Amino acid sequence: MLLVLADEHKEHLGFLNEVDVEVVREFCRIAMEFIRSGPNPKLYQSAAQKLSVASETVQHGVEGLMFLLTEAARYMISEIDFQDSIMTLGFSEDLRSLLLQLYLDNRTEIRTILSEMSMDLPHYHNLEWRLEVTVASRTLRHQVTPRLMMKLHTQDSGEKDVQVLQTDPVNLLHMTRVLEGALAEMKSTHCRRIVRNIK
Amino acid sequence: MELSAEVQEGLQLCGDSAQISDSAFNFLLKAACNTLLHGRQRDRGVLDDPSVSQSDPSVLKQVFASLTTLFLEAAKHNADSTNTSSLLEDSKMSPDRIEAFNNVYMSNKIELQSVLSSTGSGFPHVVDVDWRLDYYMKNNHLDHVNEPTYLVTLKTEEPGSSQLKDVQFACTVEQLQDMVGKLKDACKSMEKASQS
Repeated sequence: MLLVLADEHKEHLGFLNEVDVEVVREFCRIAMEFIRSGPNPKLYQSAAQKLSVASETVQHGVEGLMFLLTEAARYMISEIDFQDSIMTLGFSEDLRSLLLQLYLDNRTEIRTILSEMSMDLPHYHNLEWRLEVTVASRTLRHQVTPRLMMKLHTQDSGEKDVQVLQTDPVNLLHMTRVLEGALAEMKSTHCRRIVRNIK
Repeated sequence: MELSAEVQEGLQLCGDSAQISDSAFNFLLKAACNTLLHGRQRDRGVLDDPSVSQSDPSVLKQVFASLTTLFLEAAKHNADSTNTSSLLEDSKMSPDRIEAFNNVYMSNKIELQSVLSSTGSGFPHVVDVDWRLDYYMKNNHLDHVNEPTYLVTLKTEEPGSSQLKDVQFACTVEQLQDMVGKLKDACKSMEKASQS
């Protein structure tokens, strides 16, 4: 799959053709910093002064690089497709191989950052349990009621939550059996076919 | 098992055939037990029934309350018919009525105890589990995520509420394996404990 770059995006990246490869290298570093921890406008200004261009041009250059990297990482563009995608920009070979190297070096990290930004559901984190027998209560003395106490830890976008639950032997066996069935479903031909065909 | 003076007095009134006729006694026994097991009948009051119309309402009230208390206390302490018999003998109840009480009590004891065991406090009790398997393909930031995800819903019951509540969470295959592994451990421990 090739990336289709918008004209405006091409225009912003075109500035990289006018400066040294070393400067582009620095731009790449700034773009990666942007992806990791957000923009830093001060850097744009000092870079713009050094290169005696408008700070907007620098900003567009860095943001253009950043967008190129995140889009490529988002679609998991292959090495060859990445090279072909940036072919339309008319960059020198040095510049192209610099960008390719930048992409390949940082692809995993960018995907990790993007996956952290993705929508998250409260998800399972841990389950603690203990086995108890209730021997008496205010309403009923002389009882022998087995009980499994459970502490379910869940996480939602880094926020932890704990719920205390209980169950009895019959429901514990039922619950275990139903969830084992759920796991077994993953190995069914139907599921395997879907997993194989969605690439 | 200790009963308050008021309840003991009620039981004595209960044995007095001048106050409570045989048919009224039998009706009250069943009504007290049914009220405990199934809750109050909303359409009409227990004490408005024609079979008890000849008795004094205030006596009926005390007798009904005493019988209810005796059922509950006896079930709570797991008393058998010998215990209840001697208690009722102390209240000067006739052997016929004692037998009638014991019949109703013994045939409903287990049900009464199950009502008692579910009364009181407790954590949400898991009674069922629902699951759904999704294949997570992409989101607004990322393509090719391609990860199976389970959505698990635990159905729980809480004391004092007739409605089931949901506890919902997502998990990956590995996380579900972890959870099922732990539940299996718990099942094994439970089995071992029940054999020893």
